[in-house]
Amino acid sequence: MRSLIRFLLKFKTLFFFIILEVLSLVMIVNCNQFQRVHFLSSSNIVVGSLYNFTSKISDYVSLGSVNQALVEESAELKRQNANLRSQIDRLRYDSTYTVRNDFATEKHFMFRTARVVHSFANLKDNYLTIDKGTSDGIRTGMGVVNEKGVVGIVCDVSGHFSIVMPILNSRAKINAKVASKSNVGTIMWNGHDARYAKLKEVPQYIPVEIGDTIKSSSNSAVFPEDIMIGTVTHIERLNNDFYSIDVKLSVDFRNIKYVDIIEFRLDDEMTELERKEETK
Amino acid sequence: MNNTLKYGIMFIGLVLLQALILNNIQFLGFINPYFYIYFILLLPSSVNRDLTLLLGFLLGLSLDVFCGSLGCHTFATTLVAYLKPYFQKVFGPREDYDVVIPSFRSFGVKEFLQYATILVFVHQFVYFFVEAFTFADILQVLMKAFCCSIFTILLIYIAEKLTYKR
Repeated sequence: MRSLIRFLLKFKTLFFFIILEVLSLVMIVNCNQFQRVHFLSSSNIVVGSLYNFTSKISDYVSLGSVNQALVEESAELKRQNANLRSQIDRLRYDSTYTVRNDFATEKHFMFRTARVVHSFANLKDNYLTIDKGTSDGIRTGMGVVNEKGVVGIVCDVSGHFSIVMPILNSRAKINAKVASKSNVGTIMWNGHDARYAKLKEVPQYIPVEIGDTIKSSSNSAVFPEDIMIGTVTHIERLNNDFYSIDVKLSVDFRNIKYVDIIEFRLDDEMTELERKEETK
Repeated sequence: MNNTLKYGIMFIGLVLLQALILNNIQFLGFINPYFYIYFILLLPSSVNRDLTLLLGFLLGLSLDVFCGSLGCHTFATTLVAYLKPYFQKVFGPREDYDVVIPSFRSFGVKEFLQYATILVFVHQFVYFFVEAFTFADILQVLMKAFCCSIFTILLIYIAEKLTYKR
């Protein structure tokens, strides 16, 4: 017994070292990604408020580029507005036009803007923390975009913060298509460069060229159709049937300040709201 | 007491500097300096090994809380804290001083940079390796560790130059 104690004492630093390393390994293995991220900023008041504070400071520094983005977006919206206006004018004089009664199947998307409190782009599985949570109506599974294109999907929500799983995460699976074609596949991140992602297993019968745009596809209720994801930079022939495409992402994940969260509202939700409004 | 306070402030200062500023650099998408490890490198030889380990563990843990990578920084930093006294013996001054605080002056510029380079690279390699948690991306891990180490060592060099009193 005494020699055992002497042995332990002799190597006590080594044992202490091993215990600490095992402890950190247990943390790595036991905590899944969501718990880790949750532990991070959303639920942790100290870290959360610190990040909030610093991002407020850095907001002032980046006002110039945010302004630029807003100007570009408003120009784009003006262009769209003009297009729609001319369409409405055309329809007004078209007496043969009948209002199609497909309100029930029409998708309604609502946008909410949130500030990015904290983001990572250099890990294998990256996450963004944004400053809107359940109290602002955010739920898991909602799509997130910014003025440049698709950002990711909300994967965890607390009272005032949410965690977004961006394209730059090995678990993120976002449906994508080559512009003007139907559904093609899911966009995956290659794991190291924040500027590029891969679109795998594209069937060869779909014509793809370098420079084509990749957009969100129509068969999900998360994103509206035709939101920009990126442009094709490289096409690789995997075998006789499939391509693998390198996509340059349109969103700059290293410098992301504001995002829009998309809520997909089903029609029955809306009619219920209207009925409530009438009975008031 | 005075020293404890000094190192305490340095600990908090380096964690905040790392978490709030350096982690946001993300040069070329993935290159960050991991400068906070400087704290372990600077611990004087009078700090016993168990305390060095504990400080390394706490330093890594604080970073992990900020980064959401629970365990990764902790693992790497604890390892560096364990190795540090050995390398201090190898690169430190041969004469028997009472207390050696690692720096350009006490070690010599070349020796200190060698000491820092080895520990920083070990730290960054282990960090990225544990973060990826697979052998499949070993080349990528090596590249990340190599690039980040260069930046970290550059920062350490600048910090040493600034505090280098003749």
